[in-house]
Amino acid sequence: MHLLSILTFLPILGVIAVLLLPEAKKNSIRQAAMLTSGITFAVSVLLLTKFDSQTFGFQFAENSEWITQLGIGYRLGLDGISIWLVLLTTFLSFVAIAASTKIDKRVRAFMACLLILESAMLGSFLSTDIVLFFTFFELTLIPMWLLINIWGGEKRAHAANKFLIYTFAGSIFLLVGIIFLGYMQFKATGTLSFDIVKIQAQVAQGKLWAGFLGIEPIVFWAFALAFLVKSPCFPFHTWIPDTYAESPVAGVILSSVMVKMGTFGFLRFCLPLFPDAVKTQIPILAAFAVIGIVYGAAVAAVQPDMRRLMAYSSLSHMGFVLLGIFSLTKIGVMGGALQQLSHGISATILFLLIGYLAERRGSTKLEDFGGLKARTPIFAAVFLIGMLSSVGLPGTNGFVGEFLALVGAFQAGYKGFFSLGLVVVAGFGVVLAAVYLLYMFQKVFYGQITSEENRNLPDLKRSELALVGLLILFIFWGGLLPNTFLKPMEVSVDNTILMASQRPGHRPQWAEAAAADKLDEARNETPTHIKGLEASR
Amino acid sequence: MSYQSIWLVLLFPILGFLIQSLAGTRIEKALGRKALGAIAVFPIVLSFIVGLMITIGIKPGEPAPMVTLGDWITAGGFRIPFEFIVDPLSMTMVLIITGIGALIHLYATGYMSDEKEYARFFTYMNLFIASMLVLVLGGNLVLLYVGWEGVGVCSYLLIGFWYTDIANAKAANKAFIVNRIGDWGLSLGLMLIVALLATSPMPREMVGMDHRFLSYDVMLPWLETVLKAHPAMATGIALLLFVGAAGKSAQFPLYLWLPDAMAGPTPVSALIHAATMVTSGVVLLNRMHIVFEFSPVASAVICVIGAFTALFAALIAFGQSDIKKVLAYSTVSQLGFMFIACGSGAYWAGMFHVTTHAFFKALLFLGAGAVIHAMAHNQDMRNYGNLRKYLPITFWTMILGTLAICAVGIPGVFGFAGFYSKEAILGGALANTHAQIGGVQLGQIAGWVGLGVAALTSIYMTRLTCLTFLGKEERWRSIPAQHHDEDHGDAHHELDENHTPHEVPPSMWIPLVVLAVLSVGGGFMLSKGDAFEKWLYPTDLSVLGHVSTEPSNIPLALYSTIAAVGGILLGLAFYLKGLPKNQGFDESKWSPLRRAERDQFGFDKAATVAAVEGGGDIARGLWLWVDNGLINGIVEGLGSLSAGIGGLLRRWQSGTIRLYALMMLSGLVGLIWFFATVVAKGGR
Repeated sequence: MHLLSILTFLPILGVIAVLLLPEAKKNSIRQAAMLTSGITFAVSVLLLTKFDSQTFGFQFAENSEWITQLGIGYRLGLDGISIWLVLLTTFLSFVAIAASTKIDKRVRAFMACLLILESAMLGSFLSTDIVLFFTFFELTLIPMWLLINIWGGEKRAHAANKFLIYTFAGSIFLLVGIIFLGYMQFKATGTLSFDIVKIQAQVAQGKLWAGFLGIEPIVFWAFALAFLVKSPCFPFHTWIPDTYAESPVAGVILSSVMVKMGTFGFLRFCLPLFPDAVKTQIPILAAFAVIGIVYGAAVAAVQPDMRRLMAYSSLSHMGFVLLGIFSLTKIGVMGGALQQLSHGISATILFLLIGYLAERRGSTKLEDFGGLKARTPIFAAVFLIGMLSSVGLPGTNGFVGEFLALVGAFQAGYKGFFSLGLVVVAGFGVVLAAVYLLYMFQKVFYGQITSEENRNLPDLKRSELALVGLLILFIFWGGLLPNTFLKPMEVSVDNTILMASQRPGHRPQWAEAAAADKLDEARNETPTHIKGLEASR
Repeated sequence: MSYQSIWLVLLFPILGFLIQSLAGTRIEKALGRKALGAIAVFPIVLSFIVGLMITIGIKPGEPAPMVTLGDWITAGGFRIPFEFIVDPLSMTMVLIITGIGALIHLYATGYMSDEKEYARFFTYMNLFIASMLVLVLGGNLVLLYVGWEGVGVCSYLLIGFWYTDIANAKAANKAFIVNRIGDWGLSLGLMLIVALLATSPMPREMVGMDHRFLSYDVMLPWLETVLKAHPAMATGIALLLFVGAAGKSAQFPLYLWLPDAMAGPTPVSALIHAATMVTSGVVLLNRMHIVFEFSPVASAVICVIGAFTALFAALIAFGQSDIKKVLAYSTVSQLGFMFIACGSGAYWAGMFHVTTHAFFKALLFLGAGAVIHAMAHNQDMRNYGNLRKYLPITFWTMILGTLAICAVGIPGVFGFAGFYSKEAILGGALANTHAQIGGVQLGQIAGWVGLGVAALTSIYMTRLTCLTFLGKEERWRSIPAQHHDEDHGDAHHELDENHTPHEVPPSMWIPLVVLAVLSVGGGFMLSKGDAFEKWLYPTDLSVLGHVSTEPSNIPLALYSTIAAVGGILLGLAFYLKGLPKNQGFDESKWSPLRRAERDQFGFDKAATVAAVEGGGDIARGLWLWVDNGLINGIVEGLGSLSAGIGGLLRRWQSGTIRLYALMMLSGLVGLIWFFATVVAKGGR
């Protein structure tokens, strides 16, 4: 059973089906796309049920040669780092397609773009070969570029090109880094391979970087730059306001998944493959993450447009993800990984609702609204829930990840891994989140209805409410039963941290992945800066 | 009833919330407003009954039982279950929350009866009760934080209940944001605890317990042993926790939100912004008292802030004409008293004042609500006068509440509720030697300040009573009646010369009477044989030992009686005849001091301007100059540069997509070439 291949290419099958339908049958096209993404989601849930959370190795692994001479393989695998991102992708792709009923222009092409994007993102999360990863990583750009450029807002061409060139510029560094890493693997073993399992085995034994410790940080930064642009992290974020402001709603929802390819990149590649560089370079990155948290929140508070406000809010929220990951503590990394999911859900619900507003009113400018609560109470209520989730209210999904990320970062700061002041500042980002989100809510829903055009806005329709309700379900699920999401990632996160923090020879290897008890042996060697909670055992 | 049933106490308000939110409007249509009101009150009453039955079964002094309902967060060897603590502290609060809460819910069914969105109001109210119960019952600091933020949201929603007035919405935002600044401190405090404990060895008797770092049964004894070795850490944790407490309990400078919170309906002011939520800071200090016991410095800071807040707010109360604003500043001032107690180590006295204050301040707010209700929602005391004639029940119950807050009593014989708690606080402060920095007994100084504020309390409360109920002048009679169109859909008519106030309906005066009884006898009953102290703290504190609330060499009872009675007499002298000429509507005739008090000595304005305008300018500066100008400028600059190069290429091949494909292709070629040479050199 090539479950992972099936999952990855199911959306492509849908593309073929959609393209075979005549353009005039718009409803059939939409239904076909929705059906495809629904089945894809179902398959990903099936994977989840078969997922073994006790091992950190790659599961459902597929290994076949692709370009043998260059050691490039078609290799897929699933672990605790990627499992939830895969589910997030399939789920939000479904939501994005279901939310696109109002798209009337070139429906076939639109749905094809969404499905290709889904496929490319799944491929990115599942690849265990760096070149394959890079291929999928780059493949996401084209459908996204088309989505903005064809179905976007007024300044769509500029936004689309900026998105494309900016993220591509980041990827060039990644490409150079990949080539260099391959070269290092060749030097160490005599055979060329881009299989991260094999590369990491060399790294773990300290062979890959032996004698090249001065170069390791440079290659690390080549990887990191691409992922920082993608995440986005301050100061590489300026593509995101334009992208969010100009894309169609479905595009924004999927780009809220796409940004996770950046944070995922850190977990999958940067931490396990550059452990020596991680220790020295991560404190710098943590500072950028914290600047992003506060800076994004401050700038969000003065945006006149809801979509731009949400873009800066994403910068701020993703800062928590990065900070959690950079803490290199188990609590922090799990928090960061969970926050990825929370941000995906809460950003999506707000974008969906902002999109519904835009459909009704043709604007997302704050000054065009006011007093809508009296007119559309249900809309206001669900918007409130989405807003509170984004604010990080305990009981909603937004709280748990942010809280754990901060607790982990605090531990790292307490140990002197980076300055404790960073965490204190990052914590203030939570206050600022309330400032800009409450401001947005007040501007849209409170006060008197001032504009004539808002006097007859219809409340949410049943179908719209159903979609929003589905997201609300996950808001409370994530808030009240977060262990559902934390448990499957625990062993893999633990493994990733140990890969990044141990001395050569003590680092766990994907290649030897057997069971979690392997990690316990390694943990006895935990260096002091990440010892964290384990000390009390 | 066994403590195991504690989940029932939580369940009822949550069910109430779900019913109100999901089916409220439908029930209202089908069964009517009365039924919906009953459905709102009923769960709170049930909670109170269950809470009372559980409380009876508690034996103080035994280890507090924890009831675990299930797992919540488990990550990286850090476990936070859904667990609840059943001890005298939590159950005292449960009884206050559900008891006073039920009375205020009942009152609100009357007060809000003209309101269009009845169901929405009770949705928020039931949710508030549930959140507040989580705050006090939660068995670890994270659950406390859940309740902490939960009540903050309910407060936000209820302050902004009448959202069509944008001023209310802004007041709601202010409340939430200022509260969040406090939450920031609290969350850092609990992170510091986690980091500290995670790196400290567990005491031997606790080895083998699971990693519930923030659960009270694990954390408190552990902290005790750890902080003994790290006293500086105690000050750090204590100050961070105090920032949280100061935010929720409206201490200077974070008090800013509370006066604005009066924009909410009056039952909300009584329940949330007087009796329960604002006291949660005191609850936190009681819960975590071991940390504060280790830190004289933090304790002194708490005393100083508490005393300053008490004085500052009492002075501001003199400059207020809005009846609710007077009570709001009075609440801030009384909260200051509670913090003086906690700073001095008399933690139980702080809780005692929480309890008695809940009785009389809820009464005063509800009484004020009755007045407002009777006066066509006009809140300006300058329009009142002689209302004792029209509102006898309200008048007499409020008189009792006023005597309670003024702490009137005959030492050794009988006193109103506030008499006993204020006496314990001032006694505790004057007797303590704990709250000091560098030998300066700041706690004792706070006690003397508190004594002065007690006199001020009597004066401003007498002012309120006189202006509202006494005097011959019915000042609203001088408002000329105006004919106005009824097109604004407002059910309330305006206050004018033709207005005749009517006593409120039973649903509103019954709670007044019950609270009046408590305000009269509550303090006496609870202090009999030191009942309350022995109930909350049956044994001596582990660091401070026995905390005395009876200072030697100071005839405190005499002084405080003079303060209470003298203040009332002074107030009567000034205001018995009605509104003085120099305090009328023409505020330019006010004395400069009173105008300064009205404006909170300029502090609110300064803070608001600094935060809103200053912060806004900084943010706009960041956006326009740094983001758009600098960062994006570089990006777009590079973009134009490459566009120039792209333009050259476009003559030959057009479109960015082609450019992209070209770059991809050349990259791939480069890759292949590179590896071809590498492989060739490798000799394969």
